[in-house]
Amino acid sequence: MKLFAKYNRINLLATIIIFLLASTTFYIAIKYILIGQIDDDLTIEEREIKTYIKEHNILPEPIPVKDQKITYSLSNELLEKRKFRTVPAYDPQDKEKNSYRVLQFGVGANGKNYVATVAKSLEGTDALINSILLITSTTILLILIVSLIINRVLLKRLWKPFYYTLHTIRNFRVDKKQRLDFPFTSIDEFAFMNQTLEKATNQAQQDYLVLKEFTENASHEMQTPLSIIRSKLDLLIQEENLSEEQSKTVQSTYQAIEKLSRLNYSLLLLAKIENNQFAETSSLNLKLKIEEKINAFHELWQSQNITVDTCLDDTTIKMNNELADILLNNLLSNATRHNVPGGNIKIEIRNKSLRISNSGAQKELDPRRLYSRFYKQDGGHGQNGLGLSIIKQICDVSGFEIDYSFTPGQHLFIISWI
Amino acid sequence: MKVLVIEDERELSDSICSYLANEQFVCERALDFHTALEKVSLYNYACIILDVNLPGGSGLDILNELKKEMKIDGVLIISARNSLDDKVFALKAGADDYLTKPFHLAELGARVAAIIRRKSFEGKNQVILNELMLDLSEKEVRINNKPIDLTRKEYELLLYFISNKNKVIAKNAIAEHLWGDNMDLADNYDFIYTHIKNLRKKLIQAGAADYIKSIYGMGYKFSA
Repeated sequence: MKLFAKYNRINLLATIIIFLLASTTFYIAIKYILIGQIDDDLTIEEREIKTYIKEHNILPEPIPVKDQKITYSLSNELLEKRKFRTVPAYDPQDKEKNSYRVLQFGVGANGKNYVATVAKSLEGTDALINSILLITSTTILLILIVSLIINRVLLKRLWKPFYYTLHTIRNFRVDKKQRLDFPFTSIDEFAFMNQTLEKATNQAQQDYLVLKEFTENASHEMQTPLSIIRSKLDLLIQEENLSEEQSKTVQSTYQAIEKLSRLNYSLLLLAKIENNQFAETSSLNLKLKIEEKINAFHELWQSQNITVDTCLDDTTIKMNNELADILLNNLLSNATRHNVPGGNIKIEIRNKSLRISNSGAQKELDPRRLYSRFYKQDGGHGQNGLGLSIIKQICDVSGFEIDYSFTPGQHLFIISWI
Repeated sequence: MKVLVIEDERELSDSICSYLANEQFVCERALDFHTALEKVSLYNYACIILDVNLPGGSGLDILNELKKEMKIDGVLIISARNSLDDKVFALKAGADDYLTKPFHLAELGARVAAIIRRKSFEGKNQVILNELMLDLSEKEVRINNKPIDLTRKEYELLLYFISNKNKVIAKNAIAEHLWGDNMDLADNYDFIYTHIKNLRKKLIQAGAADYIKSIYGMGYKFSA
């Protein structure tokens, strides 16, 4: 839900509740006051009637007054209590229903007991209340509409810099060397936010750059000691009188150096791809390229009894030649290494996509961490966990999409281009 | 024959020299740009192993100097930079081969041997070792003048062994030589074992001596 919508919803609800409560209270209060007024009039009438009877000992002649009726009726005993009530009555003159406020009290005249009823029409009062209510509700409605419009327009304008900033920050890539351009705003909070964001993003880019350079430099620096260790090992095994124990030690050292060299190579490769050192692209015949790789892997597949199915459409893609080699080598190496003896590999080019699937572990790879550096599925020792990161990175710089899907025992990677 | 190693890292330079030096080669060393420049202009070498990053200048400038003086020394570039561009650039500048650090000494040995063969036995292009004869242009092997049938990998393997004869070659080095470092499958040693077993069988069956020996499962040695 948008901020406006949320704000408007709360605002509207609160306003309506307050207005409803206020109107109800207002209505009750006005009614109470007006009825009180009429009751006062009725009491005055009562007092006049009683005074008249005290003086003359007869019931006064009712004088016809508009909206007022006085009647007397005989009763057996004297009514002690006065009684106010509101009664609805039909007015034949106006041909409409009208309410009356009625006061009944007992009087004695000529030795007889009467109940005097003084009734006053509430027509005027009702009309007054109705018009007050009408005016109030119209005002409320107007206020609601106007405030809604003001909120909409004003808030939208007020929040404009915020949305602009949001838009700018959405295009932010830590690995791109672009400076973010935040708009000027006169609102302190937004200006402060922009300032903070600018500082944070610049810092992030700076840190990223330092880290990237560090990786590249570290990998480069490691190359020389690695060369020395490797060459010393190559010399060491020339010794005639190495014992079997010593040979085993040397063998283990070789493996470790091999792993380290490979890791170093992969890290350097990643850094180079990120640094756009493979920017030059050309049109490649993917089918020929894959057939070349299939030839290279053929022997290996045969020795592991892996069957390979291919269905290759003639396709040309645009990408860096070296990266294409690395990409295919990595994909096919993965499909081979994570295969099972007697398994299968399927390579297809169709619909602007390359699909490579292989039989393998029964467990799905974690799709969220699949391309993270150093991610290893259980039992993945021996690899450095950079293969898929490199694949992903190559796809990214080449403008390809990569997808992974799993059906029990089959792992499928789809690389698609436009 | 003289080989010059131009490499500023003394330890690496030492290793290369002690690996290459034998009855056939004399190994000289230069540890910086100026010594190197002096040596290459004064003497002739069968092969120069040249590091690109040197204190005092770039190895590529030495290469240019060689070409300017019309020297025919073979040049093998060794560099920490492994991009295709660097390789293409060095080869265009007149280097004979390019090897990326870190490398196996056996690989270096094979490359140096190949360069020297190319430079010294012009036109002939044959490697002869006792009863073995390798025709490099035809990629053919004869034993006692009878051709034997080897697969491409077996042929490459044999040439690699002969180029590093009497040296123990680690399994890793063999794997890397046969499959390149891109394939990322160099840890599959059973595969190498099969190839070596087949090669050995074919050689013996054709009447050659049993040259290839396994050394404690660590590697192999071609003794002649």
